[in-house]
Amino acid sequence: MGVFIWHQWARFVSIIANVYAVWAGFWAIIFRKFFWDFVNGTMRNPGGLQPAKQDAIFITLIVKAPVIPIIAMVLGLFILALEYPIAPLKRLSIHRSFVLKVVLLLFQAFLTILFYQGTNAAIYATTAAIGYTRAITKGEQMEEAKDNRGKGGGRA
Amino acid sequence: MGESWFHREFMQGRRLLFNFLFYGSHLGIFGYGWYSQASNTKLAALNGLTYSVWTSRGAGLVLAYDGGLILIPMLRNVLRVVRPRVQWLFPADENIWFHRQVAYSMAFWAMVHTTAHYVNFINVERTQVRPERALDIHYGQAGGISGHFMLFIMVLMYTTAHHKIRQQCFEAFWYTHHLAFFFMIGLYAHATGCFVRDSADPDYISSFPFYSTEHCLGYLSWRFIIWPGIIYFGERVYREIRARRATRLAKVFVHPSGAMELRMLKPSFKFTAGQWMFIQVPDVSKFQWHPFTITSAPEDPYVSVHIRQTGDFTRALGERLGAGPSVIAAMTKEAMKGSEKTGPLGIRGDFTEITNPERGLPTVRIDGPFGAPTEDVFKSEVAFLVGGGIGVTPFASILKHIWYRQKRGNLGSLRRVEFFWVVRDAPSFGWFQTVLQEVEAAQTDPNFLRINIYLTQKISEDMLWNIAVNDAGGEYDPLTLLRTRTMFGRPDFKGIMEKLRMSIESGQYLPGSNSQLKTRVASFFCGPPTLSKIVKEAAMATSTSNVEFTFAKEHF
Repeated sequence: MGVFIWHQWARFVSIIANVYAVWAGFWAIIFRKFFWDFVNGTMRNPGGLQPAKQDAIFITLIVKAPVIPIIAMVLGLFILALEYPIAPLKRLSIHRSFVLKVVLLLFQAFLTILFYQGTNAAIYATTAAIGYTRAITKGEQMEEAKDNRGKGGGRA
Repeated sequence: MGESWFHREFMQGRRLLFNFLFYGSHLGIFGYGWYSQASNTKLAALNGLTYSVWTSRGAGLVLAYDGGLILIPMLRNVLRVVRPRVQWLFPADENIWFHRQVAYSMAFWAMVHTTAHYVNFINVERTQVRPERALDIHYGQAGGISGHFMLFIMVLMYTTAHHKIRQQCFEAFWYTHHLAFFFMIGLYAHATGCFVRDSADPDYISSFPFYSTEHCLGYLSWRFIIWPGIIYFGERVYREIRARRATRLAKVFVHPSGAMELRMLKPSFKFTAGQWMFIQVPDVSKFQWHPFTITSAPEDPYVSVHIRQTGDFTRALGERLGAGPSVIAAMTKEAMKGSEKTGPLGIRGDFTEITNPERGLPTVRIDGPFGAPTEDVFKSEVAFLVGGGIGVTPFASILKHIWYRQKRGNLGSLRRVEFFWVVRDAPSFGWFQTVLQEVEAAQTDPNFLRINIYLTQKISEDMLWNIAVNDAGGEYDPLTLLRTRTMFGRPDFKGIMEKLRMSIESGQYLPGSNSQLKTRVASFFCGPPTLSKIVKEAAMATSTSNVEFTFAKEHF
């Protein structure tokens, strides 16, 4: 029956995951919250969950200064640039490397799971990483785009 | 490319009206959802969350609307029945297109709704308007759980429905799209648990629907949008029952062109010319249904389809029937050789019956029929039928059907038929030729049916000579064995339609037709999209107030 091309599918999931990550990162700058603060956190009314002391490092990087969401946004934009790929990356062969994509996506999943808005992005990025991993194990290859294609629509 | 986006969306009356109604209704519902939340004094506590809660409620109502709409274009049996009555109102054949528009809209509003809720719940936790954590709402309550599930299902469904994946591996799309079942359940359950309420704790009661409308103040939209879901489910059950009725694969023919003809017997199956149906072959794939155009006329004692082995399913089917690619290749080769040798009375139209003695013929199940625009042939004075390549299949049924009706003297308003077939290579003529021959030979009025065949393939010099020698003075065309001559190169549809219009206007084309009356020329197309666009543009450009050209196409 029809061959399911895993990297073709993983690319779409990756695009969704990273668009989500960029959007989530943007909102995480406005509403800052460490996702795992419920672990050993204490509830205050009003005020919400107060994270435990040992989470201080994450509070610094997510709540005091939204460093992690910003990194996730930048990484998300980079992965999107790699997936499309944008013109300067098209000539390089790295946009065809599945291993690189798996590494970047897992790193993205790790970053996004840390802040409140990013959980879905983390799930989708992991899904995309699984897709690319299947592509690697099945020995799929991404064909190099052919030159001399000309600009789209220009042909008579 | 060609027309701009703006031109396409806003400069065509119908599309503009659609955009106005579709997006207008979405914005209107969003506005109503927003307003009714913001102005509800009972929900004053929730309104403390301000913009985010108004946005989420508005977008939630829009999503309910989309959730109610998304299944409607997929009610294939309902559409088939209502189609003739609503055709003037909207193009019922563009149902998949509409399904996609709803899906795109759903993705957008899901983004709005989810974003707003992520803001809502962080603020619920901070202000403790309800004594719970954001985590509890997101992952512990019906709304949050079903919402996250639906989003993930959407990721899977949208990615596998991309045309690249759908064409590469249809079953990935087919199976994943059945997650819609869980999606719809999630949608109907999304507002359960008395989520929108004026009390801190949900107000449950012991009788259906298990919440009191006193304090549970959601939009209760599921009460309205569940009906398309129920009807769709019923339709799938009905299709299953109908498909199980006795069906027998009677005969399989292989035409030299490589097309397989499956003739099936199913007494309970009724259809009209130009429709299509789903076929399932359990031996090849247990659950998959594949769409094919019916090529037999309703008057024929059997139901037939012509299948070319181009995709994964069709190739596997060929293998199972004992007509695998190798068999086909050998036959095609022979046919090609034959075409070089055949004179005007050649035998190239022959086909072979496949019996497959070792394994016998497989069981088949068919489901349908489903509507196609070509049913409307008999409502116009002139039918302008264009088939491209394998897209000629519905016309086999239509031409045969016209032939049967001609015999009975029952043609409706149809006065003349112009049939065009644009095809690349000569061997493809094989199976269709028999149909055309029958229809052509039966013509008593030489003007009723005109067959125009265009061969677009580059032909070799040998073949050219062959044609030149055999064609001169022969009664039949050497390639098609029809009386009609084959033409070479691509047809100039605009020129052809222009000429047609002029001859209608001058009264030559339809003698005796009252020139004050409007003449309808209905063009029907089936085939590749590029050709479709050419025919459509030609039809639109040629249409005038007294000679109206319409265009309809069938989707594969």
